[in-house]
Amino acid sequence: MLRASPVVAVLAVLAVLASAAAATTAGCSRPAPRPRPIRFLHTFGPAETELFNAAMAERGIAVDASLVPFARGHQMIAEQLAGRASCPDVVRVDATWLAGLAGAGLLGEVPPVLAQLDWVPEAAALAQLAGRWWGLPQALDGLVVIRDVADPAPASPSVDDLVAAARARRSEARRYPLGVRVDGYWFVPWLRDAGGELAAPAGIAGPGGVRAIARLAALFGDVAPPLPAPGSEDRDELARWRDHEVAYWITGPWQFGGLPDRDRVAVTALAHAPRGGQLLVVPRCARNPEDGWRLARELTSPQVLARYAERFATIPTRRAALRDAPALSRAAYAALGDATMLPREPVTPLLFDDLNAALAAAAAGDASAEEAAAGVARGWQRLIDRARAGASQARP
Amino acid sequence: MTGSLRWRVLLVISLAATVPTVVVGALAVLRARDGVRHEVDRGALAHIDALGAALDNTLQDAWRTVELAASSWADAPGDVRQTQLLLRRLRRSVPMVHALSIVDPDGALRIGDPVPAQLDVGNHSFGGYIGDAAYEAGRPVVYLVVQARGRTGELMGAFVASLDLGFVRTVISGAALGPGARVIVVDGAGELVASTDPPRPGAPPRGLAGVDPAVDRALASGAGGTLTANGWVSAYRNLSSYESRRGARWAILHQQPARDAYVVARETTRDTLFIGGAALALALAFGGFFATRLTRPLAALARHADAIASGSTSDPPPVRGPGEIGVLGQRIDEMARRIAERAALQSALARGDRLASVGVMSAQVAHEINNPLTTVLGYAMLLQEGKPPGHPDLEALALIESEAERMKSIIGGLLDYARAQRKTERTPGAAAAPPASCDPAAVLRHVSALLEPQLRRTRARLEVLVTATAPLAIEAHALQQVLVNLAQNAAQAMAGAHIAGGVLAIFARPAPGGIATLITVTDEGPGVPPADRAHVFDPFFTTKDAGVGTGLGLAVCKHLVATAGGTIEVGDGPHGRGAEFRVVIPNVA
Repeated sequence: MLRASPVVAVLAVLAVLASAAAATTAGCSRPAPRPRPIRFLHTFGPAETELFNAAMAERGIAVDASLVPFARGHQMIAEQLAGRASCPDVVRVDATWLAGLAGAGLLGEVPPVLAQLDWVPEAAALAQLAGRWWGLPQALDGLVVIRDVADPAPASPSVDDLVAAARARRSEARRYPLGVRVDGYWFVPWLRDAGGELAAPAGIAGPGGVRAIARLAALFGDVAPPLPAPGSEDRDELARWRDHEVAYWITGPWQFGGLPDRDRVAVTALAHAPRGGQLLVVPRCARNPEDGWRLARELTSPQVLARYAERFATIPTRRAALRDAPALSRAAYAALGDATMLPREPVTPLLFDDLNAALAAAAAGDASAEEAAAGVARGWQRLIDRARAGASQARP
Repeated sequence: MTGSLRWRVLLVISLAATVPTVVVGALAVLRARDGVRHEVDRGALAHIDALGAALDNTLQDAWRTVELAASSWADAPGDVRQTQLLLRRLRRSVPMVHALSIVDPDGALRIGDPVPAQLDVGNHSFGGYIGDAAYEAGRPVVYLVVQARGRTGELMGAFVASLDLGFVRTVISGAALGPGARVIVVDGAGELVASTDPPRPGAPPRGLAGVDPAVDRALASGAGGTLTANGWVSAYRNLSSYESRRGARWAILHQQPARDAYVVARETTRDTLFIGGAALALALAFGGFFATRLTRPLAALARHADAIASGSTSDPPPVRGPGEIGVLGQRIDEMARRIAERAALQSALARGDRLASVGVMSAQVAHEINNPLTTVLGYAMLLQEGKPPGHPDLEALALIESEAERMKSIIGGLLDYARAQRKTERTPGAAAAPPASCDPAAVLRHVSALLEPQLRRTRARLEVLVTATAPLAIEAHALQQVLVNLAQNAAQAMAGAHIAGGVLAIFARPAPGGIATLITVTDEGPGVPPADRAHVFDPFFTTKDAGVGTGLGLAVCKHLVATAGGTIEVGDGPHGRGAEFRVVIPNVA
């Protein structure tokens, strides 16, 4: 039995008070000293950045990360790596930038042990130039067609059958059943269908290029909605999909993360679609290339790839991760089976500015397809000439 | 023991007061702290969101204005006069423009202010960009590069405008900040672009990357959040955009010393602790008071119980207490009273047994003595008859005769008492006697006749009144013996008190309820003292002088009345004078 005494009473009260004091002061701890961070330059979107930060925090990897706007990434990264000032340890780049960066001698080659990991073939191709590995593929992407499972698939992957299918689904409630963007990247299937290719000024100015511009431009206001305000494309497309206004949507895995109901999504291939992706490269100027490759390997580990795939339905680049990826990711991967990469030339990423503006002018009716194509051809030729001049100046 | 109980009660009250107070207090403190933190974070984030939106809108307004001008220029790039007019209008429309230029598609300056060497004119920028913050002549600026495309989308050149970022400070300076708080804007490299802190003229731009953890966190973040580090509470929002045209690569932070940011939480904690401590002290004080008050009656009960257990005959004061304790005290008092009554009863029974034995023995002795005493009395009388007057033996013989008479009287009383006792004892197997019955009026008339000589001698007046007519369930001679005894005692009492002409009243009237008759015998003598009233019916109890009374008369009376199923008691006479004996005899059913 409890032997009651004033001492017991006081001790009991003190114990309760001490417990409460401990509870109220819990959580005050001194932070551990920070390890040397790995400098990382990336083009992740906001949500991807948060997931990246969370994954690194869980793994205890200190990273000094900095966001580079995608539209300026190529230029800024090239300047930063060439200038060697504040050189990062690892950089996330678009696959179209690889030729320029590697050609300028700004990147370090991938250690062989990393190149031998279980990369999917398309990812492995993305990371190589002339058989040499320049980066670890972090994501695969490209253009596919997504549709509601309730809508029938187009008769074939061709752009003509896609437009015909969209036209067949047009109704009062679905006035513009096709989702397509006035953008050079979206123009590639039409250009290729007409026999053209990027970085070929003669091709874009020829009959095939003109016809491709005309066919794409004619879609807007017909089966595709009129041009949205610049910068609001992502938001508008997602809203139309959410409201079931679009039956066939030409898009890529970068949009999958925002899809509200992935269960109703079916993925179809698009003929002549471009395929690309994102790579993790280590600059030659990196102060700690080993840390850079360590972070690159961590970001391309099946576990991290699986998390990205689960959250954003991206296409993992490792077989182990792809095998367990969500159905949408695997379907997109399958639909990209026949897609081909854009020309692996340094000038390729520079071509889209002229193409985008010309397509917008044609779609808006400000210019004819011929005028737009001619302007693009002149712009491309200037860029190609400048690139050749730069290359010749760079040669000793 | 009571001390132990008091401490136990105090312990229970202390725990009952302390545990809820501490738990509720701790919860209140934690919730207040979390709530304040949440509100501080939310408020700071909302604040910098609004400020960031203001900055972004300002930049976007400038962008759209320059873009419109660039589009207009691209349709007629060769008109120098129109170009100059456009640039002047643009400067007026966008006052923050510091430098303004037009470059050709290769970046060469066509008109306007000089542009930095190696300026990126926007290849692969999807129409242009808002560059990083830079410092020119100690002032932060940002470059807008807007591609100028003609009607067909062809690139004709680019407008390059450097914007004075002094407007950033203007925007954030309008913020209403809490004590010690500041808002800072840093570029993508962590360089300070603007701050609400007073400017330091001539001070070089401060790089905060790697210095301020909140800045590092902000630049690494894809969105916003909060961080408490180095004694500062920081809310941050990375305004860098995935899109190059949405805004410069920068972050905005709201920072406030933790001691200022959480002053409400600290004050709430302090107040809660103070109020909780005061409430606790009050509760403990009241607890001690009530513990003492609660255990005090219990201690009294314990003492009471100890006294009962030790057989103390003293009558302790009743135990008062609240609720069940009071009830318990009452029960213990009642229990003690009953125990005392039982003890008294047992004592009385024991005494009664002793008296019964003495009575039986006395009856036997009296019976044995009566015959020799009769002989002694007879011879004493005989010897006196043969002596002449004046004979010297006559006095001695008279004394022998009177003492013998007195002894016979005593023996006669003893035999009466013994006979009365025996009458109440039934012989096993004997037939039941017929029920007794008598007429009260007849008995009283006979008693009056018997008493008359004695009353005349004592000069007392006898008043008899009979209103009861029902026959009484008592033998006539027994009632007669009772009344004679009571009347003789009354007469002797008045005579002893030298009261001449006192009234001796015997009244017989129906008792309330009609099933019995009340007979009262009252006198005007000195009465019976209250202290003696409980004993006057005990055998051998007498207040008369030695040799006058035997102490058996009233005992016999009580026995005869009780045998008949009645009661007898004594009290004060009418008007508080004298004594009154009240005899209640059941009527014959």
